[in-house]
Order: sequence, then C-alpha cells, then structure tokens
Amino acid sequence: MKLLLKLAWRNIWRNKRRSLLTLAAVAFATFAAIGMRGIQLGTYDVNIKNAASMFAGYLQVQKNGYQENPRLRKAVKYDEKLIAAIKAEEHITGFTPRIYADGLVSGEKSKTSQGTAVFAVDPESEKKVTTLVERVNEGRFISSSDSYEIVVGHKLLKNLNAEIGDTLVLLSQGFDGSMGNFKFEVTGTIKTGSSDLDGMGVIIGLDTARELLYMYGKVHAVVLMLDNMELIDDVKTSLSQAITDTSAVVLNWGEVMPDFKQSIEFDNISGIMMLAILIVIVAFGILNTVLMSVTERFNEFGVTLSIGMPQIKLVYLVIIETIFITIIGIIIGDIGGWVLNNYIVDNPIHLGAEFADMYAEYGFLPIIESSLDYMIFVNVSISVVIISLISVVYPAMKVYKLEALKGIRYT
Amino acid sequence: MSIIRTEKLEKIYQDNGVPVHALRGIDLEIKKGEYTVIAGPSGSGKTTLLNVLGALDKPTKGNVWFEDQNLADKKKAELSDFRLKKLGFIFQAYNLIPVLTALENIEFSMMLLGKSEKERHEKAMALMEELEIAELAKKRPNEMSGGQQQRVAVARAIVNNPEIVMADEPTANLDTKTGGNLLDLMEKMNAEKNITFIFSSHDQQVISRAKRLLYLRDGLIEKDS
Amino acid sequence: MLLNIAWRNIWRNKRRSLVVLSSVVVGVAAILVIDGLNNGMLNQMLYNQISSSVSHLQIHKSGYNDNKVIQSFIPESDKVEYKLQNTAGIEAYSKRVKAFGLVSSAYNSSGVYITGVIASDEKRVSNIADMMVEGSYLTDKKDEIIISKKMAEKLNVKLGSKIVVMASTLDGSPGQQLFKVTGIFETYSSTFDKSNIYIGLPDAQKLLEVGDEIYEFAVIAKNHEQIELLDSSIESGLDDRYEVLNYKVLLPMMIMQIQLTKESMMILNMIIGLALIFGIINTMLMSVFERIREFGVLMAIGLKSGRLFRMVVTEALILGIIGTIAGIAAGYLFTLPFVHYGFDFSVFAESLKSFGVGAKIYPAVSFENTISVAIMIPIIAVLGAIYPAYKAVKLQPVYAIRHV
Repeated sequence: MKLLLKLAWRNIWRNKRRSLLTLAAVAFATFAAIGMRGIQLGTYDVNIKNAASMFAGYLQVQKNGYQENPRLRKAVKYDEKLIAAIKAEEHITGFTPRIYADGLVSGEKSKTSQGTAVFAVDPESEKKVTTLVERVNEGRFISSSDSYEIVVGHKLLKNLNAEIGDTLVLLSQGFDGSMGNFKFEVTGTIKTGSSDLDGMGVIIGLDTARELLYMYGKVHAVVLMLDNMELIDDVKTSLSQAITDTSAVVLNWGEVMPDFKQSIEFDNISGIMMLAILIVIVAFGILNTVLMSVTERFNEFGVTLSIGMPQIKLVYLVIIETIFITIIGIIIGDIGGWVLNNYIVDNPIHLGAEFADMYAEYGFLPIIESSLDYMIFVNVSISVVIISLISVVYPAMKVYKLEALKGIRYT
Repeated sequence: MSIIRTEKLEKIYQDNGVPVHALRGIDLEIKKGEYTVIAGPSGSGKTTLLNVLGALDKPTKGNVWFEDQNLADKKKAELSDFRLKKLGFIFQAYNLIPVLTALENIEFSMMLLGKSEKERHEKAMALMEELEIAELAKKRPNEMSGGQQQRVAVARAIVNNPEIVMADEPTANLDTKTGGNLLDLMEKMNAEKNITFIFSSHDQQVISRAKRLLYLRDGLIEKDS
Repeated sequence: MLLNIAWRNIWRNKRRSLVVLSSVVVGVAAILVIDGLNNGMLNQMLYNQISSSVSHLQIHKSGYNDNKVIQSFIPESDKVEYKLQNTAGIEAYSKRVKAFGLVSSAYNSSGVYITGVIASDEKRVSNIADMMVEGSYLTDKKDEIIISKKMAEKLNVKLGSKIVVMASTLDGSPGQQLFKVTGIFETYSSTFDKSNIYIGLPDAQKLLEVGDEIYEFAVIAKNHEQIELLDSSIESGLDDRYEVLNYKVLLPMMIMQIQLTKESMMILNMIIGLALIFGIINTMLMSVFERIREFGVLMAIGLKSGRLFRMVVTEALILGIIGTIAGIAAGYLFTLPFVHYGFDFSVFAESLKSFGVGAKIYPAVSFENTISVAIMIPIIAVLGAIYPAYKAVKLQPVYAIRHV
C-alpha cells in the first residue's frame, strides 16, 4: 500500500504542467462553488433574520387553521397558561401578542377613505421582540396599548391626504359581527419597504383593538423571538408539547411566510444546479487528464504487469493518483473559498439604492452576505471528490482490462 | 530436470481480421540451468514463443507445462502471481519504472511480495554490488545510459531468484560493446546462480554466444542445437 | 489549407477531442437552459402583470399614479377617448374607475382595490375573463361583482352570495352598495388575487358618486416592443393635464429585475467559461507536446513560427466553435418540449404565485444570450490555446527533434 502511495505521488509530478493545470481547475471550481454557495446561504440567513425580526418573529403561536384561512374569529386564547408555557422556554427571548383585522380608514377633515389592514400591537412587548417600532418614518410610534393613537403606512397616509396630528376614523367588523368605529390620532408613519404595510396598513394598540373589535382574552398571534436561529425547530417542538390548548399551534417563520420560504428554496435549488454544472465541467477536465496520463504509460504498465504486479493494484494506482490531485485542488479551493467568504462576511456588499426598493417589495434586503458554515465546505468538497471518482471510472476500466502484452506493444 | 515443456504448441492471432499462424506446433523441453536463445527471421514467431513460455500469452492449441503444472489450468491472477515468484523478465525497452530509482526498481518485486524493508534493501544493495552497479542506486532511469538501464533490469529480473529469466531482444538498443558486457553479466548469473536464461533475439552477438540455439522458421523449430 | 490541417489534427486523438468537446457542449447547453428558465419566468411575470391589469399603457390625470385620490378623475375623458380612437398602433383600450375600499360579508371583511369596467371593452385588454374558475365574467348587468377564489374563501362566500362594497365618495362620506358574486377568478398572482375585485363601470361610478367620470384608460398596443413610440405619439396629442405611462414606467421593479437577471447571467457565463478554459489549456498542451518533434521538423524545414502559432490556435478555435454549436443545439433541443408543456415547478407553487408566475415555467431562451455565448466560448477557446501555441513555437528546431 505504501508502495502504491509512493508511486502515485511521484507519478503525478512526472508531468508537472498537466497536473498543476488539472489541480488548478479543481481548485477553481471548488473556490467558485464555495463562493457562490456562501453568498447564497449567507444572504438567506441575513434575510430570514431581517424578516423575522421585522415582523414575523422566528415562531408564532396561532389558532390552528388561522394561517391558511385568516378570520377574525379564529383567535387563540391568550391566557396565563399559554404565557407560562412560553416563559418556561429558555431560548425564547421575548414574546408579543397581535390582533389583525381589516377595516376602512377615513380622514376626518379630508374627504377620502381607504380599505386598510389593521395590525394591533402592544408597544412595550413589541419593542422587545421585533424592530417594528424602529420602522417609524416620521413622527413616533403609539405610546401605549390602550391609547387612541394610530401609526399609518406612509403611502396610505399620503393617499388619505392626511398628516401627522390629524384624526382618522377606523371602521371595522368586530368579533360579534357588529361594525365598530373609533377615532384615532395619527402619531407617526411607518416605512417597512413592503407595500402591504406601507400602502395599506395601520397600527393601533392591542387593548384598543380589543375594545374596537370586542376581542377579549384572545389574539391572532403571539410572536416569539429566539436567541439562536438554529434552535427554531427544537423550541417549536418543546413549546408545542408544553401548550395544553389543543386548538393552538406553533408555527415557524417558514410556515407563517410560505411565499418567502419558497422563494428562498427556489433560489437554493437553482443555486445547487449551477454548482452541479460547474463540477461536471471539471469532471471532463479530470477525465481527459487521467485518460492521457494512463495511455501514455501503457508500455510501462505492460511491463509492470508482466513482472507480476496484480492487475487490481494498477487500477488502485490510477485511482489514488486522481484522488491526490483532486484533494490538493480541493484544499486550495477550500482555503481560497474560506478567505473570500470571510472577507464578504466582514464586508457585506450593499447593492445600490435603486435595488433597495425592489428587494424590499419581496421582503429581501439589498445586501450580499456570505457564510462560513462548515457544511458548505464539506458538501462542495465531497461533491468534487465524488465527481472525480466518477470521472476516473472509464480510465480505470481501461487499465483493468489492459493485458500485459498489449501494453508492452502499445504505440 | 525439465522446467518448461511444451507439446504441440500452436498460436494463432488476428491481425486486422487476418489470422496469423505464429506457432504451428512446437514441442520442446528446457532444463534447469540452460542458456538458450530462440532465433529466427522476423515473423518466425520467436517473440510469440517467448511470450507463451513466459505465461504472458495463452496458446491456441497445445499445452505448456512448468515444473509439471499445466499453465492452461491457471487463472489470470494466478498467472500473475506465478510470474512474480518464478520468472524474471527483461525487455528491449521500458524495463524500469521511470519514477523509481534503480534501487527501488530492483526492490519493486520484493515489495509486491511483501518482504520487509530491511530485507529488500539488503538484498537489493548486495545484488547491485555484485553486478557493479551500486553507484546507480539513487539514480532514476532518465539519468542512466541505455546500458546501465539494462543492467539494472537484469538485477531486477533476478533479485527474487526466479527459476527462469525471459529476455526479449535485450541488446537491441545497445551498441556492440555494451551489449557484450550485458551478455557477460547474464552468463555470469547463469553460471553462478544456475538461473535458466531463455532469450529471443536476432542479434548475432547473442546467437553466437548461445549454449543452445533454437532456430525457428514460420512457426516451427527448424534447428535445435 | 491551414484550416484543413488543423481540422485533421483535432481528430488524431479522437477520444481527447471528444472529451473536451463534451465539456464545452455541457457548459454551453447549461447556460442556455438556465437562461431560458430565467427569461421564461421573467417574461411570464411581466406578461401576467400586463395582461391581468397593467396593460401596455395607462392614461390618467396628471399625478394620479403617485397619489390615487378620488378627486383625480380624468378631465374631459370623452375627448381623450376620441383621440385614442384615432391613434394608430392601438389594439384595444378600456375605461376604468378605480378606488380603494372595503368589501365585507357577514363573516369577514377585507381592504380591496375596486375596479369598475365595461365588460366587453375590458375583455380585450385584460385576460381575467379567461381566469374564471366559477361563474362567469362581468356581463354589464347591474350589481355584479367578481372576486378571487382567495377572497371568496376569506369572506366565506360563494357564487350567488351577496357582499357589501364600501368606499368613500367624492364628498367624503362612505358609500356602500350590495353586490352579488357572479364570478370567481384565480390568476397566477396570489398578491393580485388577495386584493382585487371587479364591478361594472356604471355601478362603480354610482358607488363613488362621480357621475360620468373615469380614472384610467388602459391601452393594449399592437406592437408592445414599440411602446415608447406609441407613448410619445399619444402624449403629443394631449396637454399636461394628463399623464401617459407605459408599462416600463408602471412596473419599474420588473424592469429592474430583468436587468439584474441579465447581469447575474453574465457572471454565471464567466464562471462557466473560466471552468472550461482549464480543460482547453490542458488538452491543447497535451496535444502540442505530443507533436513537439513534428513541429520541430516543420520549423526546421521552414514553417514560420507565426503560422505554427496560428495553426495551434485554430485547432482550439475549431473545437470551441463545434462545441458551441453543438451546445446551443443541445440547449435548444432540451428546452424545446418544455416551451410547449412548461417546466412543472408546482412544488414552489406558492412562492411562484407570489411573484406572479404560476406553477409552470415556460422557458424562453433569449437571442441576446445565445449570441453572447456563441461569441464568448470560441474566444475562451482561443485564449486557452495561446499558452500552448506559444510553447509550440518557442522550440528551437534542433532542440525539438532531440526532445523525447
């Protein structure tokens, strides 16, 4: 075995240029693959964090069925038991309740009104869980959960021809079916980038919403923030078990924002396909190199076989040579990839302002980030090794079938 | 005691669809310690005969016995093992593995047999001393002359104490003097270690120094002296 | 002559040349297939938006697009309509009343964009009529409303149910009217479906108490590629009380996304090109070194180094060209059946619907990209051959013959 290793190693360097070129090809493909995957996965993480911390949180507790078919009446009981179960989870860093409704908002002094999506929050707890409060564009957020203040999406306020300080009337259908309407003072506008909130949304206090909608003791969602993104599924499971209310479910951000999750997955898959293509191209390069280096040595192989070297050992030799080249290339590519990804992690790329709006519309940040997740390196490296082993099959077969005499006489 | 025996040996191979009757019925016996040359014009089948005797090729008809074992009964892997342990080979060219030093080339078959590093090294060095090529130990083939390479090839062929050494045109690429020196070496090995040598050659020098000459023409033994 | 020699030299080692060719074919085909999918997706997004509501061109009162208030109806809309009827290049147009209001059922209510249209005209401008899953499109009868499937579920209503539409009228008071659901539609865009409903134009005007006014002309052009021409031709016939906006201005994000995709395709092309170049350099080097003696002889008997250089480069160029052509053919062939049947991505249906694409993507390879690939790959082949060709030439005749 040691003999084979020694032979394989020396054989590689017989044709330095060829080996170096092949090595370089493998290194480049590995490097490019790691760079691309790093950017993809890193950027996903940034966006997930952003989307979660902006509004959806990492987990939510809702009434079973609300997510698929939101109705005012599909609310979950928000009681001591639920709160206790949540507080008992050590990785939950904060939780905040929400009530959602649809309504009609109109300016009192101007003569316009618009349909609107109402988001009722408790500003105190909301602050600790999401960055919604920081998204105030002008003015300020509502001051308490029971105030008659309203924060309006900045586009919506413009369309209502109203300003900060004006009074708006909010009309909505309550839990009992009756229409309730309240007057609110506009304290600020909000800008999140998503036209849902900015163009159609208003934010009021949770307790006020309860009054307006006759919704006591229930909410539509409890938004949870965790200290560690990786633990989302674990906490989901453990919290689900702790909750005694059988009509309540715990959902992760992917279930709350399925569009968002799928767009990430879609991009992910297309990314993997591109990687596959890159690696396949390198496979051809390896194939050619190995094929050439094998046919060149048929004479020598013939002699070696005739003096009694077992055929299979010759095949191992060729395979080991290929693995050597591949592994050196992979190591170089890994190092290069690590350097690149590390650089981007420290210096994320900010896309131009023109793209900011477009990305925000889909819920993404115009940032390119990378990732140093070790799985990237592992997956890419293993894929390259596998593809190179596949490439070596054909030349290895040729060596396996080589007869000593044919080898000796080969031209 | 006969080492190799053939009976009605025939070999036909295909050359671009045309069957060539390289050997048309060879009966011969070679005894231990012989120094035999198979000679003949080109196309006479001498290389083919050597190849069959050396278990590199299988006869189309007829049998080959080695020490009373019929080579036809052996499978490919067994033949490979057989060649490793019992035979030695010297070819016209490409004898040595280019990436190994002379010493390593000689150690090669011992390594295949799994001998310890100490044993291999000692045996190889001793043999190199004997053959007066010790100074070539750390050199690679591309650093040696043709003659030197062939001497190393001889060392490699005999280091495992084979029963027979098959040499196919070993002097073809060498000048007369070098070739003569090589033959001196092989005769010495034959005499001192009782290794059987079978050559295939059309080199006059080789033929003239043969102790037994098998002259082939058109696949049959014409003369046996 | 040189071409002939180069061609034959390539096939001296069939296997090696075929392997290099295959790598080029795979690279080129892959680029085209990916490009086709991307383009298809973007085209679909654009098309879906245009054909469901945006149309090729919209005419409003100046400033309406940025501030959609009820007071901004189109002044003298009948004069504008007359102009449109006499403008060349227009395939069809439709008048619309638009507002933002609330729709409610006994069960639930939802903020919605209300569009009032004349069915027969609107059908020529929008394809919602083809997207009905239950009932039928508007028929210009009174009190009809069509809503999306998602909306119907949210409101918990079905065909025949009665729902209330509320919007604020011109003087600020809320207006409301009862409608009967006569049709349910489902488009490729879940975002669109979530918030759009359609009622008859006269009903909308009555609801908002705006008399005869309308807010938007939606125009479909005969040739949408010349849309800027049509835009300026219409604009020149109107004064500055009006704004004429084509789809590129109305959908700036789409346009940006198309731009962004083009750029990322360029980057992908470069990466694949680089990956290929290594293989080409290696192959050409091997083939050059094999023939070193031969080259030495050629140069010794008088072949000028320039010609030798060109010969080697030509070999690589030929390989590059053949590979590119075969790769383009392979890419198109692979894409062809899907152009008709579509790539089924229903696993990502929800996400695709939020982009407005629909679960099937119909690939559309862009001519532009095909050309750029067809130029880039042979250039890469040539670049890869430069070093080997240089090496072939650098040899002194005498040295080369002795080189074993």
